[in-house]
Amino acid sequence: MQLKKNVVSFLLLGLIGPILLIISEFFPWFSSYNLVELFIITSFAEIENSFLFLFPVISGIVCLIANMLVIYNIEFRIKTVILSFVGLGFQLIFFIDYISLEVGFLTNAGVGIYLGIFGFLLIIINIISVLTRVEKDSGG
Amino acid sequence: MTISKEKKQNIKKKEIDVESSFYYALSHEIRRKIIKIIGENEFTSFTYLKNELGVSTGTIYHHLEALSDLIEQKQDKKYYLKKLGAYAYNSLKDNIETIKAPHKEFKSIFLNKLMLLTSKRFIIFNKKDRIYTLLISIGIIVLGTILCVLNGFTSFFLFFIEINIENLDSLFQILINSSFILNFFAFFVIVELISRIFYKKSENTLNLLASFALIQFPMIIYLVLHTIFNYTAFISINIVNFIDQILMIGFQVWSLWLLSYSLSVKKGLKIENSLIISLLLHYGGFTLLLLTFI
Repeated sequence: MQLKKNVVSFLLLGLIGPILLIISEFFPWFSSYNLVELFIITSFAEIENSFLFLFPVISGIVCLIANMLVIYNIEFRIKTVILSFVGLGFQLIFFIDYISLEVGFLTNAGVGIYLGIFGFLLIIINIISVLTRVEKDSGG
Repeated sequence: MTISKEKKQNIKKKEIDVESSFYYALSHEIRRKIIKIIGENEFTSFTYLKNELGVSTGTIYHHLEALSDLIEQKQDKKYYLKKLGAYAYNSLKDNIETIKAPHKEFKSIFLNKLMLLTSKRFIIFNKKDRIYTLLISIGIIVLGTILCVLNGFTSFFLFFIEINIENLDSLFQILINSSFILNFFAFFVIVELISRIFYKKSENTLNLLASFALIQFPMIIYLVLHTIFNYTAFISINIVNFIDQILMIGFQVWSLWLLSYSLSVKKGLKIENSLIISLLLHYGGFTLLLLTFI
């Protein structure tokens, strides 16, 4: 019953958010290439921050694992939040580094950026919803 | 049957009497002090109590009489705790520790492991450690400023931005070079305002300020590592760059945990609420940063 209740309340935000982040990896953000293609190109060219293009998918996977924990058991909510902080950290760095590089092309933004931002916001709203859930036990 | 019922009633009445005398004893400050003095020293004399409490002889006799269920005077004329008195002393001791440091121990094993990364001694700090906490805080601020200048970083909450200051006015150059200090105070003011406005928690402001720089301690470790990568030119290697970014995320999360713990201890907030404040600050800061770029 507990499992079912948590699945219903956290499914929309907690799972769709990370999945959107993962999907955004396979769509173009600012150029005609998606992020996986950009990672391969920059790796071959030995550009120093080529791993940056993998950050949305890493972020999505970490947040997905985090949210599965809270769906499994609400008692794990602090673990979920800390893990989500780690996951979102990757996405933050990606946003700051990549958007600052491509700021000139912001008007030509592709589907990827919308998926990325929407997924990111859903994860943040999910964290707040997990933390504000009133529980008798406040020790985590 | 009637005798048994009467017996039960007598036992219940006795229990209520004991409970009443227990709470009555703890309801007055002087009586609590008497219990603490005896508890800490095992026994005490009347003269010692008079010197410690600084009240009249009559007042002490009055309170000693009120404590007759909790303390006793033995043949050596000294006062000792009875069994109930020992319970009262332990209860007082435990309550004081809880009041001084709420959330000190978490039920979760995960949170307790996280506490290994948290210097409780300098975040909670007692009078004896206050000076050390202040020295460490000042050290963190000075070191942070030096490392930011060395790396050409501008500090913004828990982020560091590289800004080319060569073409800027000297005033801006000074401001950007002292960004770590300015960021420290801005960060503190925002945290304090959020806890006052949203959670109506205005206590321990100066204590929070004294240990607030400890929140940046993990970021100092990151800055040291980044400086090493930077000066050895390892940062240009793809994998080192990746590790550097992962380290930054790890240390940011550690800092966020320290911020949440400090708020929880100093402001008496639930850990969940402290985490919400940390989250709002971190992602609010990020949004501002992104808007600046755009």
